[in-house]
Amino acid sequence: MDFLTHLGLGFSIALTPFNLLMAVAGVMVGMLIGALPGIGPPSGVALLLPLTFGMEPTSGIIMLAAMYAGTMYGGTITSVLINTPGESASVVTCLDGYQMALQGRAGPALGIAAFGSFIAGTVGVVLLMLVSPALAKWALSFGPPETFALMLLGLTTVTMLAGDDPLKGYISMVLGLMLAMVGFDIISGDARYGFGIPEMMDGVDFLPAAIGLFGLGEVLAGAEEKTQTAKTKLRLRDVMPSLADWSRSKWAIARGTALGFAVGVLPGAGPTVASFLAYTVEKKVSKTPEQFGKGAIEGVASPESANNAAATAAMVPMLTLGIPGSATTAIMLGGLMMWGLRPGPMLFEKNPEFVWGLIASQYIANVMLLLLSTLCIPLFVRALRIPYSILMPLIILFCVTGAYSLKNNVWDVGQMLVFGVIGYFMKKLGYSPAALVLALVLGPLAERALRQSLIISDAGMGIFFMRPISGVLMALALLAVAVPVVRAFMKK
Amino acid sequence: MSRADRITASLLLAFSVAFSAGALKFYKYWGHDGPGSAFLPFWLGVVMAVLAGMMLFRRPGEIEDWLPRGEARARVLVVLGVTAAFIALLNVLGMIIGTVLFLVVLVRYLGRHPWWLTIAIALAAAGLNWLVFVRWLRVPMPEGVLWIS
Repeated sequence: MDFLTHLGLGFSIALTPFNLLMAVAGVMVGMLIGALPGIGPPSGVALLLPLTFGMEPTSGIIMLAAMYAGTMYGGTITSVLINTPGESASVVTCLDGYQMALQGRAGPALGIAAFGSFIAGTVGVVLLMLVSPALAKWALSFGPPETFALMLLGLTTVTMLAGDDPLKGYISMVLGLMLAMVGFDIISGDARYGFGIPEMMDGVDFLPAAIGLFGLGEVLAGAEEKTQTAKTKLRLRDVMPSLADWSRSKWAIARGTALGFAVGVLPGAGPTVASFLAYTVEKKVSKTPEQFGKGAIEGVASPESANNAAATAAMVPMLTLGIPGSATTAIMLGGLMMWGLRPGPMLFEKNPEFVWGLIASQYIANVMLLLLSTLCIPLFVRALRIPYSILMPLIILFCVTGAYSLKNNVWDVGQMLVFGVIGYFMKKLGYSPAALVLALVLGPLAERALRQSLIISDAGMGIFFMRPISGVLMALALLAVAVPVVRAFMKK
Repeated sequence: MSRADRITASLLLAFSVAFSAGALKFYKYWGHDGPGSAFLPFWLGVVMAVLAGMMLFRRPGEIEDWLPRGEARARVLVVLGVTAAFIALLNVLGMIIGTVLFLVVLVRYLGRHPWWLTIAIALAAAGLNWLVFVRWLRVPMPEGVLWIS
């Protein structure tokens, strides 16, 4: 069977010592980044991306994907132990996780989260493996209009779900698209908005922008508070959940996995949405909903499974369609392009070693995650004791070196600094850096697809609505714009 | 919040008008076979102007204190200032000396840790950074006054 040959090829690549090392390193760094409040998965990917420039793209993506899985679990540790989510997908875990910790059951809470993550992650990879090739094959028939419609749908859904204020979300997204226009235009050869500065010809690079918005911006926002290091007096005795815990959690894990994957595949809705949804559903179907918020283990098992399944599922649209569904996968997609790969349905045919190496390594990363998360929790708890006053300057140092190593010039570092300030203000004023980065990455691709469509069209914009697939996608994209508008009117 | 939103909306409105006008003035809206390089920028400017206008005219929210004051503001400004100085002097001082100075200043300012610890952290981090990026990844870092590459 064709499929098994591919998977065999994948494992032969993923099991080379260097790639194995990258998977372990990725999971460890991811757990650390997830555990540290202030930096989440997008900053983690942006900060690690420069390290991958010298590597084979396959090793690079293996590290990044393993890191993404690791952050999902790292955030759980702090949610349970100190009631502070390390990243947004673990916010809902605080509700019952911390309550369990107060009752002396921090161990089983972290344990069930680890097993749930492992099960959900592994099932997620199986589904990813089964769904992606078919989806990629289908997407091969896409022309420029379908590609454009798909990108528009990705942009609008991400924006719709980005924050509390859809208007500010759309402003962030359009600003990202405008910034993407800066620089050399491939079709006409114009150097747009360059103001005669040679460095501006290259345009606004997404990597310094992402490092600035997520890395430096977060650090600046964090600098406002004079935080003491979080201290936990809780002891971790036994991480293994008891048999009773298992029987209470097994369906929660199953539901969380299914829901998480389904939500994660959709553009725009990533692990965070999945975890909230899973928690709500679990509470609805529970026979004892009154226990939720008071230390119900299902309230930990379900969202933690959901966020790992969603993080894996988010790879599906990125790999098959070349459309990232979140800021994290947008930065990964930017990485793909930097490594010289062309994202999109052709990836499965042209670079099977890359795609299947990644898929196989995800299996390995999940096993690593389970081992590390059950054996090394005390180590990560200790890492949390590093004071913010030391951590913060080190993160900035990493931002600076990362931005510099892109093209070895200080201009990019300056760009990073500017975006750091922009990111700080966006965060304070309720705009969405995620929508901006996504638009910055997709902007040039979307523009090319738009212009190619209009060149082949003899009905102007009508081409997007007359072809069945692009018509449906456009309708959905417009719906994503219309929903918040209608909701705003309903409120009045 | 409403005042901050009004100011941002006005700035965005001005920016989008300039963006669209600039596109039409300097680049081609329509080429001989399809949309030119001004086409999308022009319409993006229009969309942004509409969004900014919507924000300008919607009912203002309650006023919130969103800018930090006092000590918090000082900390943000110092972190930003020290980082900016580090970047500006990167080519002059070089990566290693720059890193050590940057870390000593910032770690000491933020944490008031003892000098020995501050300096040890700075030296260790600068060394590790150099090992990873220069030795392992072969990224040439600014040498500055110290000749190591």
